[in-house]
Amino acid sequence: MTREETELLSWIESLLADPNHARHPLHEALELLYHYHLEEKARLERMVSISDNYQRYAREDHLSVRQRYDKALRRQEKLSRISDGFQQLMREHNIALKQDSTHDPLTGLPNRRMIGERLERDLNDAGRRSLGYTLAMLDIDHFKQINDRHGHETGDQVLVAIAHIIQQELRDYDLCARWGGEEFLLLLANTHLEEGRTIVDRLRRRLSKIPIVVGDVTLSVTASAGLSEHCAGEDPLRETLLRADQALLRAKRGGRDRCCVSHG
Amino acid sequence: MTTDLNIPGSQSTPAIRSDWQAGLLTMQGDSYPENSYELFDQVIGWVEYFIGHESRPLSLELELVYLNTSSVKAMMDIFDLLEEAHLGGREISVTWRYDPRNERIAELADEFREDCTFPFAITPTRVET
Repeated sequence: MTREETELLSWIESLLADPNHARHPLHEALELLYHYHLEEKARLERMVSISDNYQRYAREDHLSVRQRYDKALRRQEKLSRISDGFQQLMREHNIALKQDSTHDPLTGLPNRRMIGERLERDLNDAGRRSLGYTLAMLDIDHFKQINDRHGHETGDQVLVAIAHIIQQELRDYDLCARWGGEEFLLLLANTHLEEGRTIVDRLRRRLSKIPIVVGDVTLSVTASAGLSEHCAGEDPLRETLLRADQALLRAKRGGRDRCCVSHG
Repeated sequence: MTTDLNIPGSQSTPAIRSDWQAGLLTMQGDSYPENSYELFDQVIGWVEYFIGHESRPLSLELELVYLNTSSVKAMMDIFDLLEEAHLGGREISVTWRYDPRNERIAELADEFREDCTFPFAITPTRVET
């Protein structure tokens, strides 16, 4: 209540209480008006108070909804973050599995499965290819002796070194796979037989010249190779590869450390 | 005392075992079940019952590897229950073991740990040589 209001009300009260005015014609009207005012005032205060409470309640409610929403949002974000993490993990495992299933774990070279798939694919794409390719089956001479003399551990490291030398010697678009044991299959893309022979001979020379050092063992190796060029309509795995294998056999029977070609 | 859980693991579900007397719950393996609610409802039920009917400490030993989204959610729900109990004064501890060759699991376990104030250890398992 303001000071003016308090003063007004106490003035009216004292007027009404004064016995001198009791018989005044306006006394009753003023008294009624005075009480009416007090009731209205109380009503107004109650309304304001209800309204204030209501507003406060609505605000608190809003805040708590907001808090719950923020909490749910944070939780959702956390859930997606962790879930994404697990998915990424799964993806990386799949990539690693794919790598494991298509590569030789020792040398890191593509394995039989991968080169087989590549040859199958090339067979299907054959119509689009302008140049053929040559397969070379490469066998390290007397490799068993290395294993027997120095142990398998050393033999394995020699194979890793050989794989490294072969890869350095080949072009980016060639493919070298570990076919098994000490046998490597080279896929020389866009390459005719004679060019393939030049490449393989260069590779064999390099292999025989580079000393391979494993621990305190230093050795060098020679290799025999059989080459075949893929002919149109030929099944790469059943026919071309078989011819390369037969050529390799001839190279070995002919005294090793040499290259034989199959002319189809 | 409620029935203890003894759910054998499968390729897509973790092995889950509870020990009421010891106040211990263990979960091991991959979790991408067809119906993860059915599976985890039992686990959440057991944890709620233990917290509600016992005042002894509760420990979780986890060795989970791959979790799909609904399993991640279920684990978050379990950790929330544990956090609530811990704030209420209960002794709670979690140990999450992981294969050290798979550090990423530790990183993900650490993300779970983020909002937990109870002891939560993430420890590498010993590698068998």
